[in-house]
Amino acid sequence: MIKAGAIDKGMALLFKGQPFIVVERQFVNPGKGSAFVRLKLKSLTTGQVLRETMKSQDSVEDITVEDNSCQFLYADNDGYHFMDNDTYDQFEIPMEGFEDYKLFLKDGDTYKVVMWDDRPIDIKIPFKMVYEVTEAPEAIKGDTVTGATKIVTIETGLKVRVPIFIKQGERIMVNTETREYVERVNS
Amino acid sequence: MNREISKKRSNLYRKIRSFFDTRDYTEVETPVLSPDLIPEVTIEVFETLFLHPFRPKAHFYLVPSPEVWMKRLIAEGFGDIYQIARSFRNAESIGSLHNPEFTLLEWYTMGADYRDSIGITEELFKAVIPKGISEDLRPPFRRISMAEAFKEFAGITLENCEDREVLRDEAERIGISSAAESSWEEIFHLIFLQKVELSLPQDKPLVLYDYPSAIPCLARDIPGTPWKERWELYIRGVEVANCYTEEDNFEKVAEYFLRESRLKKEQALIPCPADMDYGKNFSRFPRCSGVAMGLDRLLMLMEKLDSIGGVILFPFSDTLTATLNEST
Repeated sequence: MIKAGAIDKGMALLFKGQPFIVVERQFVNPGKGSAFVRLKLKSLTTGQVLRETMKSQDSVEDITVEDNSCQFLYADNDGYHFMDNDTYDQFEIPMEGFEDYKLFLKDGDTYKVVMWDDRPIDIKIPFKMVYEVTEAPEAIKGDTVTGATKIVTIETGLKVRVPIFIKQGERIMVNTETREYVERVNS
Repeated sequence: MNREISKKRSNLYRKIRSFFDTRDYTEVETPVLSPDLIPEVTIEVFETLFLHPFRPKAHFYLVPSPEVWMKRLIAEGFGDIYQIARSFRNAESIGSLHNPEFTLLEWYTMGADYRDSIGITEELFKAVIPKGISEDLRPPFRRISMAEAFKEFAGITLENCEDREVLRDEAERIGISSAAESSWEEIFHLIFLQKVELSLPQDKPLVLYDYPSAIPCLARDIPGTPWKERWELYIRGVEVANCYTEEDNFEKVAEYFLRESRLKKEQALIPCPADMDYGKNFSRFPRCSGVAMGLDRLLMLMEKLDSIGGVILFPFSDTLTATLNEST
């Protein structure tokens, strides 16, 4: 058992007897009130997504999961397709609740896939990842304002605010949590 | 780290100062360290030690808001005052909307009540929010009372639920279960967080007003009703500001201090003391209204970001992770 206040994104929980993965969690201290945690949970059996609010002090049952290294093959409308690097088994993780992962996963790369009871339940996106800039507006000549920025598109389609010197075809590191530019990567 | 954000923050502060200075508010600077605080059960604080080389050490606390000092100035007759104050709250889970040290804009207007403060806040927004920013940050604000919000979004008539059992049954009816020992306030917040807060309209800034008197705070009661003269400002569903018509009744303040400091002693991880003579400031306290506004959150919303980490140069979560990694 753990306290609801210790719940983190990606954790697996037993809730009302059913296994769920935490897709989103937000801490709230409503004005002058005690602490609560607001959760978006995805059922590991039906894929159904539900919202729940608990007091931070409430106890919940966490369940043990393991990470397997898997190669990301491609995404389609239904979900994300992976291959287990050890067993070469191919499997799919349904899109529901994980729509945002599209913006970060790169075909052919290896990721940690969270398994519970031999079933894939979540993908661990590294905190910082390197992407190619596929679309970047030209910097306007004479624009020498320090700290000026522009918006570029990276290979996954995500739009990122970057310093003005970043050019199309260059590689940049992106913080996948805040979706912010970290630095230019010289390859 | 982002230099552009730092420039925007300093620009915002400059506009805020200019807004209040032209209206003849006095900018004040009060201590971050205090030997005692206004007892608030739900806020944990940071504690530190003052060392004297030859005398006993003394415990001091980092202020969770500048209120404790600013109200002393009001009692002294300082008139309209404001402050941009670094504030500290401990043991709040760190997330996209919380950083243990953060910046509050707090201002008090003499002779005003909480309704007047809505107008002043709208004027402030007109002055500091750049032109061309999206509608959901621009005045006029939408106004909705807590009772209306509960009726519309939870289907509950809050006025009829002053009794804990009644509120618990009503919550059960709309599918929100609570533990048998839950307090009225906890059940209220469960309904509020699950049914009401997420449904609040986000097309314009929203003032949610008239909070239940059952949630203890230093706002005035509205006589003959179960409500307090208090509002909170929501922008895009994020709580940005909190306002009271300040309690100015000496006895009620003393009663609040007595009750809350007892709870604080029982429940807090760091049970900082309260100044039991604080009430004396209220024997000659003018009618006034105060607003506290989270400037990190405001800046985050102006920049269309989802996390206050994006507007803070060194987010606490990063330094904490680094510290934990070093120690293991």
